[in-house]
Amino acid sequence: MTPLTPLRALIVDDEDLARHLIREYLRGHADIEIVGECDNGLDAVRQIGALSPDLVFLDIQMPRLTGLEVLELTGRRTGVIFTTAYDEHAIKAFDLHAVDYLLKPFSKARFDDALARARTLHAPAVASVAQAPALDALVARRTAPLERILIRDREQVHVIAIDEVECIEAQGDYLAIHAGGKCHLKPQRISEIEEQLDATRFLRVHRSFIISLAYLQAIERPGPDRHAARLRSGKRVPISRSGYEKLRELV
Amino acid sequence: MHPIIADARKLLWYVAAWLLAGVGIAALLRLTEQAEWTGALEFALPICLVWSFVTLSSYYVCRSLPYSQRRWSVALGLFGGASLLSALAWLGLGEAWNSLGRLVVHDRPLVAMTSAGWVMYFAAGFALYLLSLLAHDVLVAFETVQVAARREAESRVLARDAELQMLRTQINPHFLFNSLNSISALTGFDPAAAREMTVDLAQFFRRTLALAERERIALGEEVVLSEHFLAIEKRRFGARLQAELRISADAAQCLLPPMTLQPLLENAIKHGIRQVDGGGTIAVDALVRDGWLHISVVNPVGPDAAPASDHGVGLKNIRERLAVLYGARARIAWQRSETQFAIEINLPAETA
Repeated sequence: MTPLTPLRALIVDDEDLARHLIREYLRGHADIEIVGECDNGLDAVRQIGALSPDLVFLDIQMPRLTGLEVLELTGRRTGVIFTTAYDEHAIKAFDLHAVDYLLKPFSKARFDDALARARTLHAPAVASVAQAPALDALVARRTAPLERILIRDREQVHVIAIDEVECIEAQGDYLAIHAGGKCHLKPQRISEIEEQLDATRFLRVHRSFIISLAYLQAIERPGPDRHAARLRSGKRVPISRSGYEKLRELV
Repeated sequence: MHPIIADARKLLWYVAAWLLAGVGIAALLRLTEQAEWTGALEFALPICLVWSFVTLSSYYVCRSLPYSQRRWSVALGLFGGASLLSALAWLGLGEAWNSLGRLVVHDRPLVAMTSAGWVMYFAAGFALYLLSLLAHDVLVAFETVQVAARREAESRVLARDAELQMLRTQINPHFLFNSLNSISALTGFDPAAAREMTVDLAQFFRRTLALAERERIALGEEVVLSEHFLAIEKRRFGARLQAELRISADAAQCLLPPMTLQPLLENAIKHGIRQVDGGGTIAVDALVRDGWLHISVVNPVGPDAAPASDHGVGLKNIRERLAVLYGARARIAWQRSETQFAIEINLPAETA
């Protein structure tokens, strides 16, 4: 089923020649229109938001933001064709979640094949079923622990180094991330970020709180059977009973 | 620890063999009519039990004289002397137990040994210890061979690991596959450039393989290799990557371990140029001053570049290699500011 209107494609790769090759391979496909090109991850986040293309050719290894970080920030889960030269972590994750990807250098035949697959998935009803859960899992369950937290604030992207994070608090559908004396909001579930964090450095001490052990200063007892963590900034965080058990094992 | 004591089953067999020898000695005493069966057994068995542990000491006598550094006269003297000493002790033990037996078990000695009987008993002690020495000698020799074989296998594995590590750092798969992708793109619209890039890639790998086998090379040779590397990267990154190499003539003659400069350039591109939107220039300077070779690499860095500590395993590797080759005479230092990263290496200026 070929759609009548052309598919609008965005090419994201920091190497000019790599983008050139994709343009050349696309020349034979009259039903695809290239609406933009980006040479870094930040630009990709902006362009995906502004253009909402049907198809994104996304390089994994890019400066500023990686391909997976672009997906995380834009929330995009369909119509993505990944390209990568060599990335053991990413490839393992792709295979695990049965996500298609192009290994550079790739042949025209392999490219057409990936495109055909993306095209059949493009019918909206199919798309959400076929690719979205796999990409969700891919973005949420990184193999390596998180090194930085990305927050998108309209057109801006804030990068917070993981060392600066003092604690994370669940507030409804958002996370309040306390770092460097500021508080940033990010739409994410606390259980999801808990999985991504290095378990030796961060601990979920309460249903709605994760603290950085590096910033923990003291454990206080405001009442019988009640505990609270005092952090370096002076902030106090409640500790649940099971949180207290875990904390005692670690400290 | 002695291998027989360490293994309960071996120890059991060993002690059993000694008790059998004890029965043999008792039989001999009975045959020469120096004792009744009960007395002979009461005499020989406890002594053999005690002696079975004493003779284990011969393991350490053998070990003190490794097979490879042995002179036969010394070995003969040591073995003979040790056997003689132990035979004397064995005689003492026999006499003592025989007299003690009178007090404890009966009102008479366990055996009524004649002088000839004692001589025979002494000879048996001597022979038993010598036998034990010879058996242990074989055991120790066998152990030595086993340990040597295991050590050799271990060192082979270590050597292969080091070689693999070297090859892996030389042939960075990310660089290789991205370069091939660029060539693939160029063939479509600029075949001449594709050909040039192929040649650069081949030259780079060929030189890398040739240089890596040598302990030290002239800086000039590494510069040639680095120029091929930069030519490839310039095709990939276009105008974003600029490089200025200022290598003085006397610096080019100086020797240094291979693959010292190229990994620095690779880092400068990966962590520096690539992360900066408009790209930038990598400046490489090498000169000789007061008998020292100074090499510096300076590159711009982006706003959210990794801290210097994660600046690739590359820096750590180079520092370790320089430390192995030069000890305290090599110095490598780096510093990072808001906008640039600078690294400097100082080595004694030595030429071939």
